[in-house]
Amino acid sequence: MRAMTWPQRIMWLVIIAAVLVWSLFPVFSIAMTSFKTQAGLFSGTLLPEEWTWENYATILAPGGSAQDLFLPALRNSIGISLIATFIAVVLATLCAYAIARLDFPGKRIILTTALAVSVFPIVSIVTPLFNLWRVVGLYDTWLGLIIPYLSLTLPISIWTLAAFFRQIPWELEQAAQVDGATPFEAFRKTVVPLAAPGVFTTAIIAFFIAWNDFVYGISLTSTDAARPVPAALSFFTGASQFEAPTGAISAAAIVVTIPIVIVVVIFQRRIVSGLTQGAVKG
Amino acid sequence: MTAEIAATGALRADRDRPDTATRPKKRRSDRARAEARLGWMLAGPAFGIMLLVTLYPIVQALWDSLFSLRLTAPDDREFIWFRNYQVILGDPAFWQSMGVTLFITVVTVLLELIIGFAFALVMHRAIKKLRGFARTAILVPYGIITVVSAFAFFYAFDINSGGYVNSWLSWVPGFDEDLNWFASQSTSLVVIILSEVWKTTPFISLLLLSGLAQVPGDLEEAAKVDGATSWEVLRRVILPNMKAAIMVAVLFRTLEAFRIFDNIFIMTAGANDTEALSLLAYNTSIGRLEIGLGSAISVLLFLSVLIIAGIFIKGFKVDLSAGRNS
Amino acid sequence: MRTLRRTVAGLSAVALAATLGACSADDGVPTLTWYINPDDGGQAEIAASCTEAANGAYRIETSLLPRDAASQREQLARRLAASDRSLDIMSLDPPFIPELAEPGFLAPVPDTLQDTDGIVQGAVQSASWNGELVTVPFWANTQLLWYRESVAEAAGLDMSQPVTWDQIIEVAEDQDKQIGVQGALAESLTVWINALVASAGGQILEDPEASPDEMQLGLETDAGRAAADIIGRIGSEGLGGSGLPTADENASMNLFQGDSGSFMVNWPFVWPAMQSSDPEIIDDLGWAVYPRVDAATPAAPPVGGINLGVGAYSENTDLAWRAVECIVQPENQAQYFVTNGNPPSNTAAYDDPQVQEQFPMADTIRESLDLGAPRPQTPYYNEISIGLQRTWHPPTAVNPDATPETSTDFILAVLRGERLL
Repeated sequence: MRAMTWPQRIMWLVIIAAVLVWSLFPVFSIAMTSFKTQAGLFSGTLLPEEWTWENYATILAPGGSAQDLFLPALRNSIGISLIATFIAVVLATLCAYAIARLDFPGKRIILTTALAVSVFPIVSIVTPLFNLWRVVGLYDTWLGLIIPYLSLTLPISIWTLAAFFRQIPWELEQAAQVDGATPFEAFRKTVVPLAAPGVFTTAIIAFFIAWNDFVYGISLTSTDAARPVPAALSFFTGASQFEAPTGAISAAAIVVTIPIVIVVVIFQRRIVSGLTQGAVKG
Repeated sequence: MTAEIAATGALRADRDRPDTATRPKKRRSDRARAEARLGWMLAGPAFGIMLLVTLYPIVQALWDSLFSLRLTAPDDREFIWFRNYQVILGDPAFWQSMGVTLFITVVTVLLELIIGFAFALVMHRAIKKLRGFARTAILVPYGIITVVSAFAFFYAFDINSGGYVNSWLSWVPGFDEDLNWFASQSTSLVVIILSEVWKTTPFISLLLLSGLAQVPGDLEEAAKVDGATSWEVLRRVILPNMKAAIMVAVLFRTLEAFRIFDNIFIMTAGANDTEALSLLAYNTSIGRLEIGLGSAISVLLFLSVLIIAGIFIKGFKVDLSAGRNS
Repeated sequence: MRTLRRTVAGLSAVALAATLGACSADDGVPTLTWYINPDDGGQAEIAASCTEAANGAYRIETSLLPRDAASQREQLARRLAASDRSLDIMSLDPPFIPELAEPGFLAPVPDTLQDTDGIVQGAVQSASWNGELVTVPFWANTQLLWYRESVAEAAGLDMSQPVTWDQIIEVAEDQDKQIGVQGALAESLTVWINALVASAGGQILEDPEASPDEMQLGLETDAGRAAADIIGRIGSEGLGGSGLPTADENASMNLFQGDSGSFMVNWPFVWPAMQSSDPEIIDDLGWAVYPRVDAATPAAPPVGGINLGVGAYSENTDLAWRAVECIVQPENQAQYFVTNGNPPSNTAAYDDPQVQEQFPMADTIRESLDLGAPRPQTPYYNEISIGLQRTWHPPTAVNPDATPETSTDFILAVLRGERLL
């Protein structure tokens, strides 16, 4: 890479600063709100006039009123989202590979169904699914949420991975097969390394879709056995039924963001290395 | 051959595999059958699960839309053919809602494409030391729970909840510091769109990044050596080679934007004519417990989305075959 | 890969079994699940004390419903419609009760709980449907008129006499102050409209028990026009502040606490809230019964609260009603008022010395509840409320010549299924 001139360096610094401000300012805003007292919420300023930890105590400390709502919800969210992501990525990889490489009847149907299923309004799916789950016994369970989350995450995963696989030349696998590898070995040695960045991207997207879900979470659960965080937020309460629990919600938001930031920091390196090395060159 | 394929990198049509036309017919049908079996074995589980969850509810919703059915009046259920659809399509509230939804969709996707592409460039090209920061920062909004980010923007703008934005903008000439952002349609939409764009730009920038990284560096170098400006390099080399990634990103983003719900629900609950179609469906199905009418709205929403998807897929296919030869 | 998938499936099955298994307690004592709206822990305390008092006959466990009333209604309606057997006791917001009672989702109230002597009138009405009691009143809420004594004095207004909306508006205009009302597009707006119409001697719904095709609204009357006039004037003259179109109960309280505060109509939660956030204002604070529309007619203050119902599909309806009987005892209600700020529905509870001490306005609240008029009782309440909200918002656009008519036409069209809401 050419050495950067100073004006270029400064330009980059400014750009990065702008990016950081744009991306992190609302997070900063919620963080500030989480440190405000109940009265200070209406002060009309960004920074708290009076700093307090009481909101965090509410959701995390043993005596906190929302603690037995929040911690189980956090556990549920992480567990359900991870499992759903794992299953979705595995299934989608197989499916996308088949779509990108093989020719079989019904390929288009699968893609179209994937699209159609992911866009049908959840609002109308929820009540019949609720009835079905109650009959089958999946109401208020992890599996009862994992399965609908799969229907949310599989379509985009399949489409993304299929687009990714298509851009990896068929010739690489063929060459490996000519060299004596079985189709599976050929796949493993040539395609998997190149597909890794795509798989990680897909995994992140799938995880966040599952993580963000609200409607399924609130309709298919009734106790903290399976209730995820976005749904639990609507059970938080202020000092009276008319007081919105702004402080508690903000604190919960920040607590929930920390693992996200960790996940992002880890995965962004993987994607980076994969993407910059894996680009196919002539 | 390899170089050519690498050079285009575009989304190839399904038929674009190594030529099998020269093989004898018998082996081909055997091979075709084996391939079909393998294909369905690999793709079957995913397909099966997708259907499992949604087939019954979707069919049930379609069926319900032909009834006048209210959850708390189960005995008054009545089969009314397509009258629900008649009522909906003849109601100005539905078309108003459709208009708002289309407006939000177009504006957010356009903004996200531009900002997302800029972010993809930053993620790809920033100087090494700052790259990690940039990437982490860009991806963080995507991980914030939508409901929470809606609250963040709401509390920043709402004068009833201690919003500070008004005091920051007071230096703008002609700006009314008492402006209630959520009291009129235009200002409400500004905040809603801002929140939506902030939250989902990372998704587009991620997909654009993976497309960007697949553009071969030599093509760019070659173009620059030939004297092209950065802008021309962008238009003639980078963008055409990213068509696949752009298509997937824009397609899914548009479909998602069309179904916007969380942000509007939290900020205005549909007041001031900001009620998008999803919210209308929600209010009817779950608010009014009118399952029949609500299912009909959902079906119409679904059809609209399918139409949009169809336009996209057809549209991009046409562009692609032209782009490959340039 | 296959082994991994199998392991995951196995783990999920184990998780599933564990969750299902955790549901039943093992000591033979029947567990009653009480679905409560979120509060400050008061209902859970009552559940514990009644479990103790039951001496092993039953155990009450609380389960949370979402914070806002609409979501509570949605969850309960969906589960009752699916004949859920685990819904034993439910804390119900009064406007939903006809909707749940009409299809038979609520178990009938036993004779032991039918006696409504000693329960404030407003609560009794909100707990009934089709002429009979279908739920048992637990706590009852009402709005009072709160005012700044300094402002009332400066205007020469005698607050020991009933005041009217006209007087309040006049004072606010003269003194250049603002009035705390809830103009947001929410249930609070319906509460306000209903209180105004009822105070003027009318009613929003003329025949609550009619079928949706035949309902008649009482908005195109003098009462309706008077209500529209008051809301329109407050809106167009900016007396509610610039935040009026989105002002909820909390926002009204904040406005009242500010420099332009003068009068406010709000629920008693503001008393403990203002005490903790702004103690100085307490010296300048006065309260009275809801303002009148017509000087000669007593006001009809808003009525809210919570009534307790038992699910029709519950496996322990008798035990559930016994538990309800324990929960609504005057001692428990008084305790709940003192700790959570939610006023009792039982008049005896108001005499409790702790209540009188913590809430000096307790007697005013009781008086207000006796005068109170509940919102229209009908299974189609949701349509009427939202229809009103759509057409009577924003307050600046409300006027007596057009609004009653527009809203009546719209709501009736929606009820007949001709229009979307």
